[in-house]
Amino acid sequence: MEIMEIIELPVEALKEASWNVNQIDHAMLQRLRSSINKYGLVQNLVVRPIGNTYEVLSGNQRLMLLREFKVSKVPCVVVEVDDAHARLLAQALNNIHGDDDLGLKAELIRNVMKKIPEEEILAILPDTVESLKDMASLGQETLAGYLQNWNQAQAAKLKNLLVKFTKEQLPTVEKAIEKAIPEAKKQPGIGPNTRGTALYMICKSYLDKDG
Amino acid sequence: MNMKRTKLICAAGVNESTGSYRESNAGLTPSAALHELRLQPISLVAAKHIIIRNHYLHSFPGGTKLHIGVFLGTRLLGALTLGVGPFLGYKIVRDAEPTDVITLTRLWLSDELPSNTESKVLGILLRELKKSTNLKFVLAYSDPAAGHVGTIYQGTNWFYIGLSSATPLYDIGDGKLHYSRSLAHQLGSHSMKYWNSKGLAVKTIPQMAKHKYIYFLDESWRSRLAVPELPFPKKEGNSGNHGNH
Repeated sequence: MEIMEIIELPVEALKEASWNVNQIDHAMLQRLRSSINKYGLVQNLVVRPIGNTYEVLSGNQRLMLLREFKVSKVPCVVVEVDDAHARLLAQALNNIHGDDDLGLKAELIRNVMKKIPEEEILAILPDTVESLKDMASLGQETLAGYLQNWNQAQAAKLKNLLVKFTKEQLPTVEKAIEKAIPEAKKQPGIGPNTRGTALYMICKSYLDKDG
Repeated sequence: MNMKRTKLICAAGVNESTGSYRESNAGLTPSAALHELRLQPISLVAAKHIIIRNHYLHSFPGGTKLHIGVFLGTRLLGALTLGVGPFLGYKIVRDAEPTDVITLTRLWLSDELPSNTESKVLGILLRELKKSTNLKFVLAYSDPAAGHVGTIYQGTNWFYIGLSSATPLYDIGDGKLHYSRSLAHQLGSHSMKYWNSKGLAVKTIPQMAKHKYIYFLDESWRSRLAVPELPFPKKEGNSGNHGNH
């Protein structure tokens, strides 16, 4: 394996690769801009010589921003490769990476959030307030608490009862429910469905009367 | 912009993955690792990410109710989901209601974990479901097409209750196979006619029936099982895919 040396090249000698498939949207470009502004250019570009210029295999978006920042010289690694290998290397540089272990990432995000304000983090990372909080909360709740909360929510779920009435029956049922609603509204903790609670009270009163 | 001129030597600039479990837990024996295993809830987004990336089906089940991560130290090395199983699945137990049952719909564990982690994870899960919920039984399915016969259920006091009916998967040309329920969630209908009317060319892909297992969280419900308990199916050869169920 050859360890490549980084050399500085004048920005006007660098050309974007016309075949570059990696595109960036406005929001992500803004994050890259914020990151370079904050930390500087911490990653070199990878280029290959073509005539008197250098084609950028990795760092086309960074090059765009370096021009914007009016940088004169850029740290680059120069590789001597043909067209096919240039494309293959560009794909490798863009696509070969590991996957975050979300447990470790959550801990990392929690540590970052302790020291750096949320808006500063969001200016650099492709996250939203909610996704950041979601990540930071990973692994913070116990399984028992989670299941107990879920169980309570299940118990509180309302169930449907489909009943049909004739034209003659319906007004009576409606009238009885309407009459029971003021009392139903006073009932604590029975359920958020007032009409359902009213019907329940009517039924309960009928059963209680029967003994 | 801060342009520091530090001379850097960089091996092709390829990002490195995070350190492995073995590096971060050097010296930890498999049994000590099992002792440190924790199950904790994770968000739906995190569960989806892990399951789609790692589970052999590369799909997230519709109707997921509970999403749980398997942690070792701070590392998240597995995930499982529980949710609504097949329609009327609860009927295999007499007088049961849909709220009495939950189905283990996905379980993925990293190969970095010791081989008997599955039974440990199931043990923790079932114990906690027993303690903290009113659920009466759990259903699980093993896919013979993937070489699974449900070895982990056979070792953790589940009952084998035969093969399910073979429900097909659907190919909509997005590189993944979908269950009817997932498609209905996405497209708003179970009907092939409806999908076709929306210009979707959906192909039906027949599937093998799956091995069905049941675990009673409430032992007193065992006598209500409305189908016979059968001998466990045996594995033919080794699929080498023990972490996916």
